[in-house]
Amino acid sequence: MPPFKDEQIIIIAPGSETTVAQLGLPESFTPARLRVRSRMFPAEKEGEWEPYKVRRRIDAVGKKSMAQEEVDEINDMKKTFGESEDDGIIYEEDPISEEGAVWPISEGRIVNWTCFFALMTHVYNTLNPPFHTPILLITQPAWTPREHEKLTQFFFEKFKTPAFSLLDAAIATSWAYGTHTSTVIDVGKGKVDVTAISEFLPHGTGRVIALPGCGGEAMTQRLLTLLRSKGFTREMCEQLKKNPICEILPVGTALPGTADASAQDAITNPAAAASTGATASGPGHRETAAALGIAPRGPGPDTDVGDEANGDDDNEGVLDVASIVAGGKMNEYLARKDKEKQDKAAAKKKGTDAASAQSRPARLPNSKRERATFMYEDHLLLDTLKGMNLSSKGMADAQAALDEGPQRKNQDAEQGDSIVEQRLAIEPNGTIDSAFTSAHTGPIRREIEVGIERFQAGSGGILERIADAIYRTISAIEEVNKRSELWDSLIICGNGSKIRGFKDALMSTLQTKYLISPSSATIFTSELPSNMSTPAGTGTNTPQPQLAPHGTSSSQVNPLLLAATTAQNPYLLPPGGTALPSMHSHNAHSSHGQTPTSIKIAKPPEYFPEWKDVGYDEAAFLGAQVAAKVIFIVDQGLNKGYMTRPDYNDQGPTGIHYYSL
Amino acid sequence: MNIPNASTVPNPNEYAGDEVSAIVLDPGYSTTRAGFAGEDVPKSVIPTYYGVLDSESGSEYLFGENAIHNPLRNLEIKNPWSTDGIVENWETATRVWEYAITSRLTGAKQTDPIKNGLNDPLNGDPDVEMEGLDDAEKPLTDSPLLMTEPGWSSTKAREKYIEIAMEDWGTPAFYLGKTGVLAAFAAGKASGIVIDIGASMTSVTPVIDGMVLKKGVQKSPLAGNFVSNQIRLIFNQSQPQIPLTPHYVVSSKTPVDAGVPSQAIYKTFEIPPTASFRRNEEERVLTEFKESVVETWAGPGRFSNGTNEELAKATPGRPFEMPDGWNQVFGVERFKAVEGLFDASAALFDAENPRPKDEQTIPRLVQAAMQHVDVDQRPAILAHVIVTGGSSLLYKFNERLNSELQAMFPAPRIRLIAPGNVVERKYGAWIGGSILASLGSFHQLWISKKEYEEHGPSIVEKRCK
Repeated sequence: MPPFKDEQIIIIAPGSETTVAQLGLPESFTPARLRVRSRMFPAEKEGEWEPYKVRRRIDAVGKKSMAQEEVDEINDMKKTFGESEDDGIIYEEDPISEEGAVWPISEGRIVNWTCFFALMTHVYNTLNPPFHTPILLITQPAWTPREHEKLTQFFFEKFKTPAFSLLDAAIATSWAYGTHTSTVIDVGKGKVDVTAISEFLPHGTGRVIALPGCGGEAMTQRLLTLLRSKGFTREMCEQLKKNPICEILPVGTALPGTADASAQDAITNPAAAASTGATASGPGHRETAAALGIAPRGPGPDTDVGDEANGDDDNEGVLDVASIVAGGKMNEYLARKDKEKQDKAAAKKKGTDAASAQSRPARLPNSKRERATFMYEDHLLLDTLKGMNLSSKGMADAQAALDEGPQRKNQDAEQGDSIVEQRLAIEPNGTIDSAFTSAHTGPIRREIEVGIERFQAGSGGILERIADAIYRTISAIEEVNKRSELWDSLIICGNGSKIRGFKDALMSTLQTKYLISPSSATIFTSELPSNMSTPAGTGTNTPQPQLAPHGTSSSQVNPLLLAATTAQNPYLLPPGGTALPSMHSHNAHSSHGQTPTSIKIAKPPEYFPEWKDVGYDEAAFLGAQVAAKVIFIVDQGLNKGYMTRPDYNDQGPTGIHYYSL
Repeated sequence: MNIPNASTVPNPNEYAGDEVSAIVLDPGYSTTRAGFAGEDVPKSVIPTYYGVLDSESGSEYLFGENAIHNPLRNLEIKNPWSTDGIVENWETATRVWEYAITSRLTGAKQTDPIKNGLNDPLNGDPDVEMEGLDDAEKPLTDSPLLMTEPGWSSTKAREKYIEIAMEDWGTPAFYLGKTGVLAAFAAGKASGIVIDIGASMTSVTPVIDGMVLKKGVQKSPLAGNFVSNQIRLIFNQSQPQIPLTPHYVVSSKTPVDAGVPSQAIYKTFEIPPTASFRRNEEERVLTEFKESVVETWAGPGRFSNGTNEELAKATPGRPFEMPDGWNQVFGVERFKAVEGLFDASAALFDAENPRPKDEQTIPRLVQAAMQHVDVDQRPAILAHVIVTGGSSLLYKFNERLNSELQAMFPAPRIRLIAPGNVVERKYGAWIGGSILASLGSFHQLWISKKEYEEHGPSIVEKRCK
């Protein structure tokens, strides 16, 4: 077998929400090129799956329920698209809709195997690899050895891959960071995995696998619980969560002052208005439709999504909800909206007057502001519009009328722009939403205001449960002496951890709950120089005597010297500038056998410029790139880093357990 | 491509056994261990404690580490074992064990998509569902199963084991091994005396040529949980009382002076979690206390003989901080928690925790076990004193045990075999089972499904001695 080359390697990282993949290793590692949402749609035939929603309609039925001019329009369209008129059944792919989608991975576990395999096939075909491509699959910790065998069998037999290897997501992350001992906290959509890794080997016992109810979805749900009374939908909360105005503040940070009642009354609630006007008139709020918010993220030049997205608006036809938004109701809504806008403008004027009267400083940071607004991309509304059989012009007009995006941008350049910019900055793959390039094909945007609820996504015990899981994982490590090293290099990754302030808040939760401070009872007073103040008792400015873990021998080193040389690392300070009690001093040399005496976040790697820009939330993919390079290119199978086809033929799927680094 | 060299793993075909992919299940009081035969660590170690959530719609059972540490109202934490080392609640024990196997070894059942709420049930593939149901009924249809049992389990219990494996799990082959023998195998010995200090039970098992000397098996409740209770007594009896606060009640802590009441911010619960939940969480703090503070008096002689206590006072104390920030240095007290294992008169006691009997202490157990061993076999046995079990990891425990045994059996040479590797010490019986089940020559010992169907559960008495 000829050696593998960089450009032949496929890496696939399946996730509950997004599956990322890439063909070929670039010179300098970049974030994954292909991103697909991890869902498939059941096809006509039982057990088969389609990557996009396929709508099947019998045209004749549609005709009856339609007004004549609409039918004409459809016919026009059909002519344009070269469809034969007498074909009774129309199939059409809707690349954005997620109605009826099946998500094969849930909480990190594969719950629907045929669907999962179909997803893998779709990813593989989208990458369109040449022959002789080895595959590296990133596995979730929740997958069991038996499931690994099942996957091995599938990949060898379906794709005839010449070589295949599995890599645990947590190990991949530690490869990315290049730290041999670390604690990887992977915050996903529906779950959190906590893995203690020493010498690049994960500790199986005590590993917290798929802790439910702590991922990104849990935070969305938390926001929804808080905001439901204000007319928010899950989709709004999902977008709010991804917006930089949504932030988790470190433990003990006071929320910006409570709103005075009068202000609250005066503020119109566009969210509520919208949901009574158009949004709620859709066919109920489907769970699946909610996830639409980030749908356009996928399309790129190298996917087939991009091509279809454009023709879609004109083509999209007769979903049978037309009667609801059609007719006078939309105009009513628009009229009301207009009035609202004027009111608001007036209110805003007053507001700015008041503001300037107060002559407040330039701009408050988000965490100090009581209220903030964000752009909500209303896909549901767009779907409804699509369903109204509007001509392309009518569609564009309606969209333009409903879309608050561009106008708002002009009106409120300061805020809107900054949000857009920030938004772009946090987009993980740098693909700009089509919405910003062409206003009329993209989703309809509306501005929504939220109060202090936006700081409470992590409330309700989510952070504490994650913190407890970390504590449990590290406490389960048998080698007691390794624990403090594990506490000193935490890696918080996963797209669920992207929410602003999450990592800092988690760190401050850990620090306030678990950090062991030096005991004042062991203060070593006899060697204190006279110019030092008497020990205050908290041990903050007093050096500690150094005792070996079991107190059998005290250190030979002068404790003062020791304390002086191991002065507090400023990195230890809780991030976010919160004034926590100064309890971290000197605990790097505490006499405690207990851990943690210090908690630190591992330093991310710096030599991958492309990754540095987008952040290391998907570090597992970077690690997989490093690993793929090592096992397929450098090592070439000498250390049995991967299973080859002959190996598979010899040993069958169970052999996979012998091939890993 | 794979040129074998000294460092490559031997081809699985070259040594027998691994193709069978047997599963080894080692149920214990505190944790249940499960993994594949031939591996050196159990892949699945789950708490045997489970949660029961009572609601109007019936009780929900929660298994696994992730589920039992949530301070939910009404969450009761229970254990299927009775405190004297016998399975009490077979139904839930079966479910706990099954969870240990399916959660991390064979895979979850396929019925999940309906419940997870993400997938529309309409789209479920009926074929998959059917397969799932089959799996759900018989989780182990393609793996032989080796289970461990304590040396004192009754015939009835042994028959129950094989019934569960064959009927409930559908395993194609089964074997039942005694923890004592397996721990000896893990240490590479066929004869010896195994001292297993677990969570609820300490047992002493003489093993001769791979067979348990059944009448010599001794057990006593002086084990890990006893040490925990001793620590609780130390906390309660000290002046002022030491508050034992589990993590879940603390919202954030502030450093305070040693011995000063804590200034933590506590959580408020509308309905506080149950007492059993609190106790289980307190146990985690006590485990930490055992790891970082508790020390065994290494000997020679007992701790309470007067001079030793004075000596101990001279050693520096060890600080401990509670989850709420309360901290103190523990001096002589830290020796007292374990002393009861060796010296019943030194054990603390109160109304709920009666003073242990003299014959329950570890040295006396060894003595009693040796009484049943033929005199000419004693030297061979005493040359392999195998120490295993998680509670034997108490600091300096082995030094003390050694000195006690030396004093008791001065004539034949005593050699303590206690692996320094923590994993090997904790999972001794499991590792022995893993070795045994992966041996090619072991194949003939399996009880096959056919044999079971022919002879019924009583076959276990004949085949697994």
